[in-house]
Amino acid sequence: MVVAVSRTLPWGVVGAAGAAGLLIAAMSRTAGEAGEWLALPLLRAAILAFAMGLVFLLDDPARHTTSTVPTPRPVRTVLRVALVVPAVAAWWTVALLLVPPGIRPPAADLTLEAGAAFVLAVAGAVAAVRFSEEPRPGPRVAAGLLTASLLALLFWPGKWALFVPVEDERWAAAHDRWAVVLVAGVVVGVLGAVEPVRRRVWGRVWGRA
Amino acid sequence: MTTTVSASGIGLRYGGTRALDDVSLRLTTGVTGLLGPNGAGKTTLLRVLATALPADRGSFTVLGHDPGTARGRQEVRRRLGYLPQTPGFHPDFTAFEFVDYVAILKEMTGRAARHREVRRVLDEVGLAEVRGKRIRKLSGGMRQRVALGAALVGDPGFLVLDEPTVGLDPEQRMRFRELIAGAGEGRTVLLSTHQTEDVAMLCHRVLVMAGGRVRFEGTPAELTARAAGRVWSSTERDPGARAGWRTGTGSFRNVGDPPDGAELLEPTLEDGYLLTLDGAGTGAGAIAGEGVSA
Repeated sequence: MVVAVSRTLPWGVVGAAGAAGLLIAAMSRTAGEAGEWLALPLLRAAILAFAMGLVFLLDDPARHTTSTVPTPRPVRTVLRVALVVPAVAAWWTVALLLVPPGIRPPAADLTLEAGAAFVLAVAGAVAAVRFSEEPRPGPRVAAGLLTASLLALLFWPGKWALFVPVEDERWAAAHDRWAVVLVAGVVVGVLGAVEPVRRRVWGRVWGRA
Repeated sequence: MTTTVSASGIGLRYGGTRALDDVSLRLTTGVTGLLGPNGAGKTTLLRVLATALPADRGSFTVLGHDPGTARGRQEVRRRLGYLPQTPGFHPDFTAFEFVDYVAILKEMTGRAARHREVRRVLDEVGLAEVRGKRIRKLSGGMRQRVALGAALVGDPGFLVLDEPTVGLDPEQRMRFRELIAGAGEGRTVLLSTHQTEDVAMLCHRVLVMAGGRVRFEGTPAELTARAAGRVWSSTERDPGARAGWRTGTGSFRNVGDPPDGAELLEPTLEDGYLLTLDGAGTGAGAIAGEGVSA
């Protein structure tokens, strides 16, 4: 099953997004003196670019043809995600190494940001599959992720800031919040992957059937 | 005849629209046709029975299992074949690889036995010659047969086919009829279609749906009999007819309540179907008002 499912993954889109992300990360090497303060936003932009590719992970043109097979949807979802995890880890390692050591932001904290962003991307894809009939929800989820990221960048309350510079005193607290985002993404992903046997269970429970 | 599917009071809403309204039915071995206008709820019913979509209310069993539980749904899926209305494929797969992929998802783990089964179904659907060809290079009819092969792999006891002959030319449709008739030997097939002649030629039972409800359940002969004495010929379109159209011979074929002394014609299943819809209050206005004429 691993080989068969691997062949159904959208490697082209994921690869293109990964290449774009690496190009963005590599720009820190050519930015001269500006590279020092550009390294962090460039790495964040690289993370966003790759996350945009990961939202296509669950796109499956054969979705309706295979909608009633006995292999449960959560198993198929986990398998698809598991198959790209090594590639994601390798990509992130290369992205970090592309930034010169002298100007590289704290790797552990930024890895947490990357992990949260990737988990959110996949959770968005899982939710799209769960709540729509679209065999290829990727483009819509990508648009949603991009919009949400830009809005968060512009309007996210400073009190709960996520995108803070390294020297900012809120850096540690921001990464506590990134951990919360990561956990929330995992929860959404796990809940979204479940295939219900009944609709409107809660409506019935609360007498709103 | 063995009862494969038994459903009672199935209901499902999309927002404010009642897609299925208290649907009860019983399906036995053989091919059962499902007729109805667009929006009647046919695809929704098929998806519910195929476990692709959970119902809001009601209960049903398929091959003795209750899909309303996770374990029951799993058991149903192990013995189910489903051809959706718009089957999708991985276009870079060959026909063999795609059916093999579906077989893997159907828990057929033994490679040699699985490959034998894939070759068997591809042979059954007449694709043995092109099994190594990429799906993107196959014609629409051949792709439809790949999807049927994917539904048939694993020898399911219950086969759900949603408009499998849409977009096929007459020769391909004939080929599909042969396949469906063959598939109906020894298993239960539920066939949704707009082609009344497919139902007349293939099915031992027929259901007519309109407005989310089952309006008729019986044999094709019983549906045809509903139009007995209600189809007549005239030289002009009869304004009192529910439907009327000029035939190739120049005379009009009218369906409805004939005037005295009308020259009655032998009814077809389509006549019975039109009158059933008319009685259901869906499409009646359109049928009576348009009066198709060539």
